[in-house]
Amino acid sequence: MKSLKVLRGRGIVEGRCVAEALVSKKPISFLGGVDPTTGKVVERNHDLHGACVKDKVLCFPHGHGSTVGSYVLYSLAKNGLAPKAIVNRWADPVIVVGAVIANIPMVDGVDVSQIKTGDLVEVDAYKGIVKVLESAQAEG
Amino acid sequence: MYLTKEEERIYDGEYGWAKQVCMRILVKLGELFNASRLIPIEAAHVSGVSYKTLGDAPVDFLEALANSGEKTVVEATLNPQGLDPSHLAGRLPESLVKNQLKLCLLFEKMGFKTSYTCTPYYIKKPRKGVHMAWAESSAVVYANSVLGAWTNREGGPSALAAAIIGKTPNCGVHRAENRKPQIMVEVKARLEKDVDYGALGIFLGNILEDKIPLITGLGRPTLENLKQLGAAMASAGMINIFHHKDKIETKQKPPEKITVDSRDIKETLEELTTTSTPKPDLVFIGCPHCSSGEIREIAEKIGNRKVRTDLELWICTSHHVKEKTRRYTQKIKASGAKIITDTCAVVTWTDKLGIKTIMTNSAKTAHYAPIMNKAEVKLASLEECLKTALEK
Repeated sequence: MKSLKVLRGRGIVEGRCVAEALVSKKPISFLGGVDPTTGKVVERNHDLHGACVKDKVLCFPHGHGSTVGSYVLYSLAKNGLAPKAIVNRWADPVIVVGAVIANIPMVDGVDVSQIKTGDLVEVDAYKGIVKVLESAQAEG
Repeated sequence: MYLTKEEERIYDGEYGWAKQVCMRILVKLGELFNASRLIPIEAAHVSGVSYKTLGDAPVDFLEALANSGEKTVVEATLNPQGLDPSHLAGRLPESLVKNQLKLCLLFEKMGFKTSYTCTPYYIKKPRKGVHMAWAESSAVVYANSVLGAWTNREGGPSALAAAIIGKTPNCGVHRAENRKPQIMVEVKARLEKDVDYGALGIFLGNILEDKIPLITGLGRPTLENLKQLGAAMASAGMINIFHHKDKIETKQKPPEKITVDSRDIKETLEELTTTSTPKPDLVFIGCPHCSSGEIREIAEKIGNRKVRTDLELWICTSHHVKEKTRRYTQKIKASGAKIITDTCAVVTWTDKLGIKTIMTNSAKTAHYAPIMNKAEVKLASLEECLKTALEK
């Protein structure tokens, strides 16, 4: 498939997938910010409030908050609600550890503002490459 | 990052999922922070043990790890949990007690010592120059700055992984060049009371970001003064090591410099106090957990006086220190004060005990209590705290 955009970053946790993007401009705190039993973002005033992270390529600048947040990613995966991949601007310890224990492919060093919610993206976390395959806006 | 053949085998899963996931945590974090290899550690200390701060989030992962049968391979200790089994369990909702016990049993199953303290260095003092993976920020600062042991400020999961593998990546303050002072702090204020050291810590934590300070003008601080300074600094900022000296040769001085005067300390104390109530619901001493010396000092200061009946006085410490200081703790108990072990006011459910105002000599507690305990705070010296708690 021909890609509309190729974004190069750094592979953090290995893996590859193609899925729809869910993009946030804001950092995400998984502890208290995402419900591990529904997969929904519950942090108030968050631009993803109410959205479900299940099977998405979750794109956000970086994580923040308690290191307990790493465990939430594990529970999401156990409950079948984890994102297919994580794309960050800057990797931070909470998200890296979470992606490792939940085995979620992860790439950082990517300008996530180049990706829009609803875009179909391919993440190759072996090479650290994110490709936008179909633009959400082009369809809509 | 360079891995030995053995480390590679663990990384590839030849020794099972649990060791693999722990190794992957260490290696991925090492790569993130430019480590070149893993180094052996002598001790690991895990934070995030209280059900109040953890909630149910880690249960799935901890259960999987505990059920794998893997055990800690180094001296591995635990931070305070959510309650004191003998004093507070009966006063808290049964479901909280049950969930806390479940978490504790998972850690115990993995071979952790049931230390339940933020001051593991009072149980086993680490030797100078040893590498560790500790996760309680106040203990990290104390280890690096006072004891001369070397540890990064780990998160709960990375300290857990280090305890199971017995190694940590050689990044951050595990490298000598990353321990050097970067900014001079000249304290012009006279630090008269114990609480002034905590206030200085909060003030510095707020402005230093992650720059390592070389502090002058501390006078003759006790080890407990330095404990308060470091605990406060780490709670307000990203600091994990400080240096202090009275005389500094010019060539040792880092180029950047700030000064702290009496007004900075006074204003910090005022900012941390949110209530002027003459009668708090709780007077809390022991954040970080009291040393043997502090227990003795408190017993002597209390003398034969009694605690007022319309408030509670908690002295928090580890059960290890409590056992060692029985002579003094019995005296303290006779006053009506409670010696609380295994937990502290910040990580237990004070709101469920009807506590709305807390008076303390700990700047760290004052910093956290408005959010962690939904309580109003009064920060004052040990002397003033005891004066408030005891009958005239």
